[in-house]
Amino acid sequence: MNWTNRGDDDAVLDALFRAYREACPDADVSANFMPELWRRIEERQRSVFFLGRWARALVTGAAVLSLAMAAYLYIPHGRSSVFSVESYVEALAAGHAQDTPDLPPSVDEL
Amino acid sequence: MLVDFEIIKRAQAGEAPAFNEIVLAYRKRTLGTIARLISRPEDVEDVAQEVFLRLYFSLDQLRTAEVFEPWLYRLTVNAAYDYLRKHRRRMESRMSDLSEQQVVLADAMAGGRVDHDARQRKQISEAVDAMLSAVSEADRILLTLKEVEGLSLKELEKIYRVKENALKVRLFRARQRVLKAFGEAGKLPSAKGAAKADMEV
Repeated sequence: MNWTNRGDDDAVLDALFRAYREACPDADVSANFMPELWRRIEERQRSVFFLGRWARALVTGAAVLSLAMAAYLYIPHGRSSVFSVESYVEALAAGHAQDTPDLPPSVDEL
Repeated sequence: MLVDFEIIKRAQAGEAPAFNEIVLAYRKRTLGTIARLISRPEDVEDVAQEVFLRLYFSLDQLRTAEVFEPWLYRLTVNAAYDYLRKHRRRMESRMSDLSEQQVVLADAMAGGRVDHDARQRKQISEAVDAMLSAVSEADRILLTLKEVEGLSLKELEKIYRVKENALKVRLFRARQRVLKAFGEAGKLPSAKGAAKADMEV
């Protein structure tokens, strides 16, 4: 080894890492490892499946709601609705008539 | 490769026995790597299961046999990284946690003056763990893969998907940060013992 060419600290670090490697050999798994792994795989598959179903239901619901709203806006309603006023000017006039304050009579009229 | 690509292909097709075979072939190595990366024996199996879980759900993306092992390493590194980040507060056993006794033992270990019995193995493991806790998770993982796992720069290149020169720089900086943190705490074991160990190797 050419440890003399490196710093002393580097040599210490190398030796410590080597000792660490020896102190932590590969360990085998417990007997429960594989059953637990498959349980987690199946659980994840189930959650992915349910998430997919929820997503599909949500998309379907949104599509139905959009169609219903489009149909509601498309179908003409009675004239009582403010949306059924034929023109903007008419709507303004109608609104203005309601909002005009009751002014006192002018001097000429008296 | 510990398994034939044919088995991987069968696992890709959804054959559970083939996937079991892959897990059986790689579980020991994967567990060992995780144990050294996270240094928490009680959580090693949990992280290993997460690795194989991710493998199961991403196996269909694998195209060639030669990238399988670097890819499994990559999944291992990512799972260990996620674990370390999640448990950062618990893992923050700062340099002050490294007792004088551990430093003396690490020094002796580096000098090859003690036997590797279970207690001493635990203590040296705790000493290095405390040392690596002083740097970021990314530095810790990179140093462990290179210096402890003994992966070559070529292998690391495939795992990290970066150029060898960039890896060399990152490794150098990671080592400097460990040394700095350890040096600042004034707890770096003497070079004498380590040098002796190196000579013996």
